[in-house]
Amino acid sequence: MNITCKDRDRIFQDGTPEEWAALEAHAAACAACTDELRAWKSLSVAAQEMRDYAESSTLWPRIECALAEEADRAARGKARRGWFSFLPQISMGWQAVLAGAFVLILSISAGWVILHQPKRPDASDSSLLKSQALQDVENAEAAYEKAIDKLAVQAKPQLDDPASPLLANYHEKLLVLDSAIAELRAQAGLNPSNAQLRYQLLAMYQEKQRTLEEVLEARQ
Amino acid sequence: MGTMGLALPWKARITSAPRERETRVEPSGFSEGSPNSGVLNGLGEDAALAAGCRTGDLRAYERLYLLHGARMKNLARNLLGNSSDAEDAVQETFLKVQRSIASYRGQSSFATWTFRILINTCYDARRSRMRKKEVASDDTEDKPKLEPRAPGAHPSLRMALERALAELTQHQRDVFLLYEVEGFRHAEIAGMLSITETASKNTLFQAKKNLRQMLEPPRGNAETR
Repeated sequence: MNITCKDRDRIFQDGTPEEWAALEAHAAACAACTDELRAWKSLSVAAQEMRDYAESSTLWPRIECALAEEADRAARGKARRGWFSFLPQISMGWQAVLAGAFVLILSISAGWVILHQPKRPDASDSSLLKSQALQDVENAEAAYEKAIDKLAVQAKPQLDDPASPLLANYHEKLLVLDSAIAELRAQAGLNPSNAQLRYQLLAMYQEKQRTLEEVLEARQ
Repeated sequence: MGTMGLALPWKARITSAPRERETRVEPSGFSEGSPNSGVLNGLGEDAALAAGCRTGDLRAYERLYLLHGARMKNLARNLLGNSSDAEDAVQETFLKVQRSIASYRGQSSFATWTFRILINTCYDARRSRMRKKEVASDDTEDKPKLEPRAPGAHPSLRMALERALAELTQHQRDVFLLYEVEGFRHAEIAGMLSITETASKNTLFQAKKNLRQMLEPPRGNAETR
């Protein structure tokens, strides 16, 4: 094989073993190629100096520990993902559709809850009297009581001295009514806004009024 | 690229006969029992290693370390400049192998794949270090700062080479380190750096040419025949 100095770089770059051998032979008679060849090979020798394969006693234990920790972490993460482990098998498109459906269901549920939430107690509830209504009831009650008291004054002589068993019964009935009225008024005093108590009290007054009227009719 | 005043009297310093590998197209430089021996010879072992690592067997990782750990650390040290960063990079590489072993499809050998991860990890570490130091100068962008090492047969030659290597481009430096220092074939380097074999050969040639110019002033009137 005929080799010249011009072939040197090409052989350095990508020469075959035969070309290298031919270059060596050429360099034996060429000072320039001898120097270049020696310098070229010296770079490789110098590169060997950069090898340091000394054993490190701490590196593998360190790596082993890190690998074990990583494996443990991965195992825990896998267990935590349990319920969602099917997700990676679903394409991104379907995952997006599922996420959209989930959001839609959530929105509908929230809307339904807002629209169908239980109503608050109505302000117009008749079982409780507000301040103005209470005042009106109490005024009417006082006037009514005053009127009944006038009837009672008129019937008092007959009741104090009943001339017949009927009048004696009226007298007892009025005593029971007065007792019931007194008890209801005491309860109404404790709970003045309770409309039910007021109705019962009104019924008692009405019954007393009727009884007194019957007493007065009996006198006539 | 100019000379650096690092001229070396090659004749005086290098007296050893040229190594056999220098005349080969694809130098192997591997000998049985050396840290390199597992890469090219044990293709079956390579596949077994990959399979073991895939199952999460720590013994497979230990075997990988025994076969390639020393060379991985040496390469990382030459890329990053110090042992501490090199050990961090090797550890991170093993963790990355563990995390992404499922994505290894056997396109290249398992060792080549592992070294590619190591190289990328070293690049990341270098970038991270650069960001931390906030060095904006192009001249010092990715030149590793070399720490002192145990003296070899030619300590001054090695130091001169290390300084000259720092002046090469990152790509030239990486190819030189992988081929000349770690003894990989061009085919393997191509796989690690995602380049062609030809590009690897060309880059190595340019790297050595530049190093030659930096380490010894060119002769003025060299005769050619």
